[in-house]
Amino acid sequence: MLTCDDYLVPETLDAALRLLDEQAGKARIVAGCTDLLPWAREGRAGDVHVPVLIDISKIGELQARHVEAGRVRLGAATPFQRFLDDPPMMTALPMMPRCAVWFADDQIREAATLGGNLVNASPAGDGFPPMLVANAEIELARWEEGKVARRSLPIADFMQGPGRTAIAPNEIMTTIVCDALEGYGASFEKVGHRRSLVISVACLCAAVKLDAQGRFADVRLAIGGVGPVPQRMRDIEDALHGQLPEEARLETAAQLGAAYVRSRSREAYRRAVVPGFVVQALLTAVKRAGASARPRETELAHA
Amino acid sequence: MPELDIAATVNGRKIRRKAQPWQRLLDYLRDDLNLTGTKEGCGAGECGTCSVFVDGTLVKSCLMPVAKAQGRTIETVESLARSGEMSVVQRAFHKAGASQCGYCIPGMVMAATATLRLDPHADREKIKERMGGNICRCTGYQKIFDAVELARDVINGHLPQTALLETEAKDGGYIGTNVRRIDAPSKVTGALRYAGDMVMPGMLHVQVLRSPHAHARIVSLDTREAEAMDGVEAVVTSADVPGVDGFGVFVCDQPIMARDKVRYVGEAIAAVAAEDLLTARRALEKIKIVYEPLPGLFDPFAAMQPGAPVLHDYAPDNLVKHIPIRVGDIEQGFAEAALVVEETYETQPVEHAYLETEAGLAFVDHDGVVTVHSPSQNITHHRHMLARILALPINKVRMVMSPVGGGFGGKEDMIYQGMLALLAMKSGRPVRLVFTREESIASTAKRHPSHTTYRMGLTREGRITAAKIRIVYDGGAYGLSTEGVIRKGAILAAGPYDVPNLQVDTYGVYTNNTPSGAFRSFGSLQSQFATESHLDLCAELLGMDPFELRLVNAMRPGSTTHTKQPLSSCAMTRVLEAARIASNWEPGVAGRGATRGDLDGPGTRPPMTLGARFATGPDSAAMSEAG
Repeated sequence: MLTCDDYLVPETLDAALRLLDEQAGKARIVAGCTDLLPWAREGRAGDVHVPVLIDISKIGELQARHVEAGRVRLGAATPFQRFLDDPPMMTALPMMPRCAVWFADDQIREAATLGGNLVNASPAGDGFPPMLVANAEIELARWEEGKVARRSLPIADFMQGPGRTAIAPNEIMTTIVCDALEGYGASFEKVGHRRSLVISVACLCAAVKLDAQGRFADVRLAIGGVGPVPQRMRDIEDALHGQLPEEARLETAAQLGAAYVRSRSREAYRRAVVPGFVVQALLTAVKRAGASARPRETELAHA
Repeated sequence: MPELDIAATVNGRKIRRKAQPWQRLLDYLRDDLNLTGTKEGCGAGECGTCSVFVDGTLVKSCLMPVAKAQGRTIETVESLARSGEMSVVQRAFHKAGASQCGYCIPGMVMAATATLRLDPHADREKIKERMGGNICRCTGYQKIFDAVELARDVINGHLPQTALLETEAKDGGYIGTNVRRIDAPSKVTGALRYAGDMVMPGMLHVQVLRSPHAHARIVSLDTREAEAMDGVEAVVTSADVPGVDGFGVFVCDQPIMARDKVRYVGEAIAAVAAEDLLTARRALEKIKIVYEPLPGLFDPFAAMQPGAPVLHDYAPDNLVKHIPIRVGDIEQGFAEAALVVEETYETQPVEHAYLETEAGLAFVDHDGVVTVHSPSQNITHHRHMLARILALPINKVRMVMSPVGGGFGGKEDMIYQGMLALLAMKSGRPVRLVFTREESIASTAKRHPSHTTYRMGLTREGRITAAKIRIVYDGGAYGLSTEGVIRKGAILAAGPYDVPNLQVDTYGVYTNNTPSGAFRSFGSLQSQFATESHLDLCAELLGMDPFELRLVNAMRPGSTTHTKQPLSSCAMTRVLEAARIASNWEPGVAGRGATRGDLDGPGTRPPMTLGARFATGPDSAAMSEAG
């Protein structure tokens, strides 16, 4: 079980950062707590005592979200359920409702935050593929010389390995800034043992934009759960850019996906799953972008 | 430690109470406000027995620190039935029979209420999706979904309120009539108290020290530092057992707590009763044990080898029991066979996973009667064993069966009631133990893993001439129900088929794995899995329809079972015919795979999908695309 000496709920970022600075080495930042409490149990971390828990979920800046000049600013404490019930977010980030509906369950999504998912840096963290696809930047804040100091870095640099990120002990993730993908067709694929409350064995996000001729004007793919760090699948994107979304072409490009599997377990299964995921995610994204994939030529000839 | 001062509105009443900073909302509701309709099933957000509304939003209270409840409005299941009048959802659960053990039901009722508040016209797929965070182990969910659909239709006026009333019994009789369960109202309202919900004045909290080793000698065990801690009222080990230590269903080979050695990971060694749970847990860390690791046995075949390490002195061959059955002459039977098929089959251990973990409350009453409340599935047997273990006359031991929040055979063994009795006697105070989910999985009995070697002889026409079946069951570290399980496995080994020449040998073997015990079907699931799989293989090799092969060999009225019981009636052929019709079976040879035409037909369930809420309803407007 988790125990603490004090549980503090600051209402401003300044106050939270000052507390974190004062309690250096003794405090842990929490928001939704949906990962922390299951972690402090038998079979995982066991009984854990954290002297001070600092709850940042009441800080306005961390709850705010809006779209501005083609970019979305998401407060780090945005609960996942908002991607299922906040229409501006659902429009700006069309992959997020599909990601969110597979994430935990309706109740946990009310508490679990996008920022918390990223800070925990699980190789299977469902928040990573969509944020990689949206070219997210992570904004961090710390208390320095009596005031708030901030920095920002790309999400690909933020996560460094399983459970490891670039966040310093005195920093709090405040905001995730990412591309607004309105008009993109997007999809999220996930496989696990059941449909609710399941950790991804593999998860994949696709977002595509088609030009007037129906060619890929933009194609973005990112995969998680198959290696130490979720990744963009740049070689597949490059192979498809400017091309027509023909099923045979998608299948050929998708074969590159197996090379992303570098996990330590169920490797053969994941290698088999990933190319199919890539094709499925792209077909769905293309359909949602308003076109349908051209069938294979063999099938055309047959017809 | 600074205490929190939590002010909130709980079920319409303003509450202001101190709380510990590490408490969860669940602890605050259950322990401080005594609102025990909110249950704890896992403590990790997986099961939904603890679902409550916070500011109108359903959340899992085991994942919410109580500090987050500050200034907020909490509604628990107790708020749904106003002035004793159950809500429509609760009445629908009552009508639909959507409660069995009842332990998940308060959470289910809350999740159903949330679903219909958010999406009053939710269809069955959306109901399933929105309630995906709540687990039921008993019902298979269908009656729960029926109840939510019934509630939806009544709330929306598509069905009259009278749809919630009990169906009138036809002609005064109850056969064929849907009768409401009399215990359902207490379950759907959360009023029913399971052992873990019970409290008594002066009650102490119990925690158990468990073995990290599969097989080790206990060289020394020192509890003095734990006993000296403030708030610790009693510590017990096997040294505190006054009578003949040992329990079990067929052989009393298991001590209340490990005596001299441990035989599996998770075996209880010592138990602490303290003023609060945290003190009891911290006291466990102060108990000093020196172990001498012994070679472990994790495979029953290795345990049966001559010279293998011995787990129990009374069983130098590591056998709990061997059950042989001999019918006819198998040599002759195989000689008559046109086809002989051999194969091996394995099954794995399975956890019962009832939503209510093991829990119990014990005290010594005014007459010196040691009283234990627990969800025991076998209280009379437990009472007799406990009297012997405690060296008390039977009238000084009382076992009370608390509501069982799911059992499935997993609560037949007296694995913790003895510790509670000893602690109540030693401390002179009421004591309560509630297992964590992890503790329940690690330390309680599982379904017996099995390894079956099957040899069957058949004529070209499919008549079985002989079968030789050998099943090795892994009994784990203690006997528990193993003898009965392997006996049932032997009796039913060849299934409901008339096998004229039969040799069956089932073995229950000690290993250092988690003890195996009773579990629905009691040993026959393992043998039936082997028999039915084997018949499918034989049908394929014979080029026969698998139903036909079974009909040729089925026992009929007048048949005699393999243990010489004459059958004056036998429904086997009728059951097969009914199954053939209900499954839309397409006659043909086994092993046809996807070439069959009877797959995915009417009555089969479509594959699992998510995103039902995007198709129609309140969430669909914002989704610009379909599918």
